Amino acid sequence: MNLSKRIAAFATAGLLAGATACPALAADAAAGMQKAQVCVVCHGPEGVSGNPAVPSIAAQPAQFIATQLLMYREGRRKDAQMSPFAANLTNTDLNNLAAYFTAQKLTPPAAAVDAAAAEGGARLSQQHNCVQCHGPALLGQQHIPRLAGQQREYLKTQLRGFKAATRFDMDGQMTSAAQPLSDADIDILANYFAGMR
Amino acid sequence: MQVSIRLKQLHPGFRHGAGVLAASLFLSSVWAQTPPPAAPATPAAPPSWQQGRSTEQATSTLHPFAPLFTGRASSELPFDKLKLPPGFKIEVWAEGIPEARSLALGDKGTVFAGNRNLSDVYAIVDRGGKREVKKLLAGLKAPNGVAFSKGTLFVAERHRITRYDGIEDRLDNPPEAKVVIDNLDPTSQAGHFWKFLALGPDGKLYFNIGAPGNIVMPNYMQAAIHRVDPKTGILETVAYGVRNSVGFDWNPKTKELWFTNHARDWISDDLPHDTLHRVSRKNMNYGYPFCHQGDLLDPEFGKGRTCAEFDPPALKLGPHIAPLGMRFYSGKMFPAEYQGNIFVAMHGSWNRSTKQGYNVMRVVIDSQGKATLKPFLDGFLTDEKGDPPMWGRPVDVLVMRDGAMLVSDDYNGIIYRISYKK
Repeated sequence: MNLSKRIAAFATAGLLAGATACPALAADAAAGMQKAQVCVVCHGPEGVSGNPAVPSIAAQPAQFIATQLLMYREGRRKDAQMSPFAANLTNTDLNNLAAYFTAQKLTPPAAAVDAAAAEGGARLSQQHNCVQCHGPALLGQQHIPRLAGQQREYLKTQLRGFKAATRFDMDGQMTSAAQPLSDADIDILANYFAGMR
Repeated sequence: MQVSIRLKQLHPGFRHGAGVLAASLFLSSVWAQTPPPAAPATPAAPPSWQQGRSTEQATSTLHPFAPLFTGRASSELPFDKLKLPPGFKIEVWAEGIPEARSLALGDKGTVFAGNRNLSDVYAIVDRGGKREVKKLLAGLKAPNGVAFSKGTLFVAERHRITRYDGIEDRLDNPPEAKVVIDNLDPTSQAGHFWKFLALGPDGKLYFNIGAPGNIVMPNYMQAAIHRVDPKTGILETVAYGVRNSVGFDWNPKTKELWFTNHARDWISDDLPHDTLHRVSRKNMNYGYPFCHQGDLLDPEFGKGRTCAEFDPPALKLGPHIAPLGMRFYSGKMFPAEYQGNIFVAMHGSWNRSTKQGYNVMRVVIDSQGKATLKPFLDGFLTDEKGDPPMWGRPVDVLVMRDGAMLVSDDYNGIIYRISYKK
């Protein structure tokens, strides 16, 4: 039985005995960079993704990165590829990874957005109150992710998941916000966000 | 069915839709060949913290602040900003307790700390001036409430209260949970589902069931404080019209119950006040959802009502200040003027453009019973217009046997100790 299965077994029983939590040490971006070697295989060098389906994690808010990794570890957010990577990370690892990736520059590959899509995206992101939480430039804050420059297929998958209520959502905010979006709206918003710098 | 329970828990603002989804997942796994017809689209309710907003408020940028769920090292925190009256000192007592919420003290000195969004209960043991932090229980449902009596730890989850007997001798091998009372959350309610838990002088367990949204008509179990006798399991309601209380204690002299209460959001920056209440007789009703702070009729539910129908608060604490844990001080360490004071942990406002709270205050009650609010621990709030405005958030206060006071901080996962020396 590997460690994550053992933890899951204890969690099911409602008991986790004898696990001594390590005192948290100051977040260490250099240690995070060492841990990040396995992340960048998919997420791209320094967390700048070149794969439309894989999100960039460079320049995301540190609290967002640490929270999502924790939710993968705890089994609340689930992904066949991500969940096993998160399973054995300590809170110190998560804070270190967050410190490293938040400090990287997001230099997204050129994403062609035509003028009509850009205008439609700006209008929709106002209409659906994206800017109220994600910030006026959609750069994210605290536990709320940066959308500007994110990979478009990843964004579409997330928005469709929120609309279907299948995507992990801490307080129901995004599940609610995604309900009025049509498939066409989702495509326009994803294109618009992906094209932002 | 594991899946359906999880989904409901994860989408508190969308419980109907999630229930439909969970049911369809369950069905599809059982009868894979005959997929159920597509469920009709159910409009998702807004998250409960947004419920009750006006149309104009839909563009508000105000939002609750999420804790740093992985905790933060005390070495990263600006302790020099913390201020206390002369003679008092604050230090880090224990760290690495992610989302440390309510506190309880064991007979042998173990401190227990619960979680709200996370699912664990921690035990912190003092070993010769060094604290050992153990994750004691895991995989629970919002175990915010912890209480201790005669060797037993009681834990309030969103749906039940359980007991762990002889726990301090078994911190590395805790016993199975025994259920004191179950089915406290039959509707898997959104909103205020986390519970505070405390043992009264009558040996009964007192706990809240909060309102299932910001401003909604509660059912007969909700927006109330209840008590259950752990010997018999008999349940009684102690106070009505309480939107959400996450802290209570008994006056050591009069044995009367006092509690803090969170008022509704989205009326204005300055209304209504959060409140402190005294329970002096049976069946008192403090007004929710009809009347707030004893003298403010609700714009919607207050129609045709009057605040004279309800019991006023003992003290208004401030709009959106978010009072959580409160304890009477009867320790031997602090100066005489602190005897009988109530210490209140103010988690701090989010639904207010200029932030306040994020501190510990004390309530002084004079011989006429008049209550006055005074500052005590300040300095977590660093920018009242900032987002976030603070670097730490007090949740509970706990008086230790030596008279020192612990303060939990769920934002950083830290417990502080406040002591006094002449």
